[in-house]
Amino acid sequence: MTPSRPGRDRGLVRPYVITEGRAHPTRNTVDLVTLVTAVRDRPLNSLNPEKRRVMELCGGGALSVAEVAAHLSLAVSVTKVLLSDLIDSGHLTVRPPIPKAQLPDARLLQEVLHGLRSRF
Amino acid sequence: MTQHIPGAVVWCLAVVTFVGLLLLIRQHRITAALRRRLRLHEAALSARDEEIRHLAETRLPALVKASRDADATPVPGRPLDAELAATPYGRSLQRIVDQLSGVGEAARLRADKSAKSTLKTTMRALQALASEQQLSISEMQGRHDDPDVLQDLLEVDHANAQFGRRAQAVAVLCGSWPGRQRAASPLLEVVRGATSRIRDYRRIEVHSRVDMDVVSRAVEPVVLAVAELLDNAARHSQPNTKVEVGIRPAHNGVSIVVDDAGIGMDAGEADEAARRLSGREDIDIHRLGDPPQFGFAVIGVLAARYGFRVSVDMQSPYGGVRAVLFLPDALLNRVRFMGPPIPVQGAEAQPASPSPSRVEAGAAADAVPRAGAGAGAVPGARAAGEAPAARAGTAAPEAAARPGPPAEPSPEVGSAAPSAAGGLPKRRRRSPVRQETDASPAPARPGSQLARPPAEAASRMGAFARGTRSGRDASTDSEGNAAQ
Repeated sequence: MTPSRPGRDRGLVRPYVITEGRAHPTRNTVDLVTLVTAVRDRPLNSLNPEKRRVMELCGGGALSVAEVAAHLSLAVSVTKVLLSDLIDSGHLTVRPPIPKAQLPDARLLQEVLHGLRSRF
Repeated sequence: MTQHIPGAVVWCLAVVTFVGLLLLIRQHRITAALRRRLRLHEAALSARDEEIRHLAETRLPALVKASRDADATPVPGRPLDAELAATPYGRSLQRIVDQLSGVGEAARLRADKSAKSTLKTTMRALQALASEQQLSISEMQGRHDDPDVLQDLLEVDHANAQFGRRAQAVAVLCGSWPGRQRAASPLLEVVRGATSRIRDYRRIEVHSRVDMDVVSRAVEPVVLAVAELLDNAARHSQPNTKVEVGIRPAHNGVSIVVDDAGIGMDAGEADEAARRLSGREDIDIHRLGDPPQFGFAVIGVLAARYGFRVSVDMQSPYGGVRAVLFLPDALLNRVRFMGPPIPVQGAEAQPASPSPSRVEAGAAADAVPRAGAGAGAVPGARAAGEAPAARAGTAAPEAAARPGPPAEPSPEVGSAAPSAAGGLPKRRRRSPVRQETDASPAPARPGSQLARPPAEAASRMGAFARGTRSGRDASTDSEGNAAQ
């Protein structure tokens, strides 16, 4: 899946070329655990090689930002710039991580379990 | 009797007079001859004076000038008198001239050599520092999440890359190696790597129609040469113009074409550039001008050493210079045209890698779709949606062309089926490297799990053979280069 990995030389193409000199992502809603998914059938012609890689990585399902960064062998902050661009251009959709508040309370689950045990 | 006396006296006088006359005539002749010889000697003396004055005032200054200026072979004037040149005197003069010119040449060579070795060691030290600094900058980029810090780091990184390139260029000019050994890299990455090392990297636009790797030993020199071309192009054109880079396939190689919209070069500059780019002339670092013009000289040295060609004698469609760097097939891995060859290259670079990353039997089914996706994922210009069927077709010639890996057919056989099943989640992506490396040395009979032990043995043998081959290549290469 990572054909460029064996031949990839991290020192060859520097991050400022990859981000065209930008360090600030266009949106600050992207963090390490944000999940991104590729939108199918978007034109890839205008994208640079790293962005194409992102599109291929995210083609099969959601990936977290940290995972994308690891696959690209790029710094997370650099990856965020790329991902923000792709989100802006509509190539990626974001799924924020499930907030804690929406997860069922562990105590409630425990009580249900106890109830069930005492019932049967 | 007395009458006879005058007669005798007269006779005597006559004889004496006659003898006196004879003597006088003889004396006169002798004097004339002496006078002639004196005149001759005077003429010869003045010719010698003239000759030695010519030596001091014309020939020696010409010799000094010739040794100071660029044009090699000193022709410090001819002797004035051709007849004199044949005499011992003339030969002695010629010996003086020869010895002086020999001494001058020897001194020049010695000075050049010592300057080069001093510069080389200094620049190598600087180069090492720049590489070290690049590593720490990369680490910092990974460690800090703040965009402001990253912005600063990017600037430092950029400056450091340019600094490293300058040091590297001077070191190469002084006969050093270009430095780091890199893995075989796609052409597009090589050009972008070159872009990373110049000041105006934002003005570079790269268009690539070729998806091939530059062989490992040539990556760094080509990056350096392209960086010098790009730097020239960007520096000699308006800051608001673009520099276009095209990577185009050619008959038995690939051309990297750099077009700028700058002021171009006049005929004299073009001649000078062509002379330096040829790499044939001995580079004298004292004659590169002030400030020194390293660029073309460095490219010339690299081109001669690694066997690519560079020309800058064309005009670009935008009015500036068109520089063309031609890479012959010997410096390219054509294999990348086809299926999933990347893992093979990886295996060549690190022969040990395939064995630890062998995939478990259970992963085999999983493996196929990834192989398909992986081939598309090459960072070059290859179309992302390339059909696996097409790849299956192209893989066969590839297998034939490449003696090492026995297992090329296996990935395609599987690749048709699973790409249809494609949609499943992250799991597949998780073990991409393993998948790739597995794909190339996979067993010749893909279906049967029983075939695994022999296949594994075969792939190990293949990896070993590839390793020794690449090792041999590297060593002959270094010898060849050392010889130059």
